[in-house]
Amino acid sequence: MRTPGSIISGVSHLLLILWLIIGWELSHDPLDFQVTSVTVVSGDEFAQIVAASTPDVTTDTPPALAEPVIDEAAPPITAEADVAPDVAPPAEVTPPADETPPPPLPETSPVAEVAPAPDQPLSLPEAAAAPDLPPSPRPQPRPSDRVAPTPVAPPPPDANISDVVTEAAEPDQPAEAEVVEQPSEAASPEAAATEIVTEAETPSGAPLTSSRPQSRPSRPAAAATPPAEAVAATEPDDATAAAVAAAVAAAASTPAPSGQSGPPMTGAETESFRIAVSQCWNVDVGSLSTGVTITVAFSLGTDGRVVGDVRLTDGSGGDQAAINTAFGAARRAILRCQSFGGRTGYVLPIDKYDQWRDVEMTFDPSGMRLR
Amino acid sequence: MFKTLTFLLSPILAALLLLAPAASAQQGPLRITITEGVIEPLPFALPSFLPETAGSEMITADLARVVADDLAGTGLFRQIPPSAFISQVTSFAAPVAYADWRAINAQALIIGAVSTSGDQLVVKFRLYDVFSGAELGEGLQMVGTVSGFRRMAHKVADEVYSRITGEQRYFDSRVVFVSETGPKDNRLKRIAIMDYDGANVQYLTDAGSIVLAPRFSPSGDRVLYTSYESGFPRIYLLDVATSGRQQLPTEAGEMAFSPRFSRDGRQVIYSLINGGNTDIYRTDLATGQHTRLTSAPSIETAPSFSPDGSQIVFESDRSGVQQIYIMSADGGEPRRISLGEGRYGTPVWSPRGDLIAFTKQNAGRFHIGVMRTDGSEERLLTASFLDEGPTWSPNGRVLMFSRETQGAEGLVSIYSVDVSGRNLRQVVTPSSASDPSWGPLQP
Repeated sequence: MRTPGSIISGVSHLLLILWLIIGWELSHDPLDFQVTSVTVVSGDEFAQIVAASTPDVTTDTPPALAEPVIDEAAPPITAEADVAPDVAPPAEVTPPADETPPPPLPETSPVAEVAPAPDQPLSLPEAAAAPDLPPSPRPQPRPSDRVAPTPVAPPPPDANISDVVTEAAEPDQPAEAEVVEQPSEAASPEAAATEIVTEAETPSGAPLTSSRPQSRPSRPAAAATPPAEAVAATEPDDATAAAVAAAVAAAASTPAPSGQSGPPMTGAETESFRIAVSQCWNVDVGSLSTGVTITVAFSLGTDGRVVGDVRLTDGSGGDQAAINTAFGAARRAILRCQSFGGRTGYVLPIDKYDQWRDVEMTFDPSGMRLR
Repeated sequence: MFKTLTFLLSPILAALLLLAPAASAQQGPLRITITEGVIEPLPFALPSFLPETAGSEMITADLARVVADDLAGTGLFRQIPPSAFISQVTSFAAPVAYADWRAINAQALIIGAVSTSGDQLVVKFRLYDVFSGAELGEGLQMVGTVSGFRRMAHKVADEVYSRITGEQRYFDSRVVFVSETGPKDNRLKRIAIMDYDGANVQYLTDAGSIVLAPRFSPSGDRVLYTSYESGFPRIYLLDVATSGRQQLPTEAGEMAFSPRFSRDGRQVIYSLINGGNTDIYRTDLATGQHTRLTSAPSIETAPSFSPDGSQIVFESDRSGVQQIYIMSADGGEPRRISLGEGRYGTPVWSPRGDLIAFTKQNAGRFHIGVMRTDGSEERLLTASFLDEGPTWSPNGRVLMFSRETQGAEGLVSIYSVDVSGRNLRQVVTPSSASDPSWGPLQP
């Protein structure tokens, strides 16, 4: 069955075959190629060549090892020195500019003192050795002198109370004489619980149910999860700092001339402002002023600091004395928190200054009233 | 034509509608509502009081210490150690370096000065709101005696406390209590009086007989208490200044106990056992007239007047278990307000009038608790082997009570706790102490 397609295909194949047969014969230019001359050598000759290019280590007699001299008067080598880890200096320490290697770590490195001795058996983690008690049905309240919306775990016993968490830093050994570093102590926020825990509500410590047979070890992934309290120790302020930093970044990345109204304030921006003030709003829950709701007004400068005075615009839920007390607490919160935690003013987007130049803030402690 | 015009204007109208909220958001102030704060002690700075005359420097440190202890003892304040101070106060009239005090997070600054002339002591102070950069209230000057410097310190602390918290004062007050010595099975008991913080203890009676439940009069000049010196419980009225006393008249065979003054101090309500039945009576101190207020076959005791004197709260076992009831000050049908599990007793009406404190026994433990006057919002503040007998501070903010430890060697002590349940602490006394009754603020 002849079709135009089969005819075209047959003609094309025929032309291709003819070109393959005849076409190369029509080309007169030789193809470019390189020629490399090689020399065939035997295995013995190759061994001699290799031997000539590498030093002969077998011909030199190795020197005899010196016998170790044991000084009886010298102090014995302690296990701590052997296992002392190579402690990296704190991040704040600037390495010396020259290439002089740093001096070795002293033997009395405080970190080495806590390293386990090599001959001591490794102890299992406490969690693994503890009996597998059934979890209590609900978390036990933890009493604390400070009550805040976000819990904070008790700080280390030797840590100072501060708004900013810092790690303890020891001065490194002076690599150069002019390097002087002051030691800094660990600092941690004051412990805080999320609710008032009276003595009557303090857990007795007795287990609610009898212990059960130990179950299989939990999966490594679960063990890697940090304890809830440890997370709580870092998260609240971290979250706040992150929110504040995000607001700072947002403000810095979108500079706008003053007076230009940007997009509306986002919920996150308003919320970070609210959180910033609430951190300093100290509520006396046993006071009659707990039933008082007040509204204050104030103005902010472009730097986020209060301009002028904080004014009481409305108050209800108590007599004038209670309203005045509540106003004093609110004013202290607003004025104190503008420089809380090292801030120099509330962190708000500068391109939206027109929207937060004037602020009207209502303080309603009804949710914190003792019930 | 109309359709074309509508087609062209629709996007413009839609854009205007979208922009409308943004435009309105720019008008007016930014409005924020805060519903959650923190509960923490307010840090204050209290430099040592400045001596303005020779010899007064001996008392400046003691004065400042008492003031600081008063404030910090409430749990509402925290003293900033002087070692943290950046600037020093050298003159009472010198301008305040607010920035230095803000830098150490001092929210309140108290600056005082002391001068003496013979036995006369003059104390003056100023209170500053550091973050507002202004004085909080006006400066105050008080005149007293050197021997009474603690009272003047309490006065200073009261002013500071009141100005910052808005609460009524209570530091310059006294507590009458039962001082106990000796083993548990042979205790010697005396009526004693002390400052609210446990200082200046004075004994009003000897240890010749068992004494119980002293109660301050509203003016603080008299004390009611129960004594067994006749072999039966009798109520005595004691004059604090002279230690003179008189027995509340009772008939032969009657036993009276658990007395308490009315708010005007002219009447006494108490329990009287007559014919094997215990009921609540009221006696007019001026006329000696008795009025029986309850007449149930059950035991009614521990009465306490409401602040306005119109009602009485008391405990009764008429339901089979001790519970708390309220009735009119003239008697009448009582209504039960305690509805929880366990036994309720020793109710005391708050000076504010909003709460009733009580002792509760439940599940083998004793509690001090508070509830609304209708019995709602019950809150237990303490829990121990034996807590009982709450008494209110003059401002209704703090409770004192007795706490006894377990065992034959168990001791009884006085504790205090904030009405919020925070700041539970022992009142230090020279010996064991029980049955506290908080007196009024001293003039």
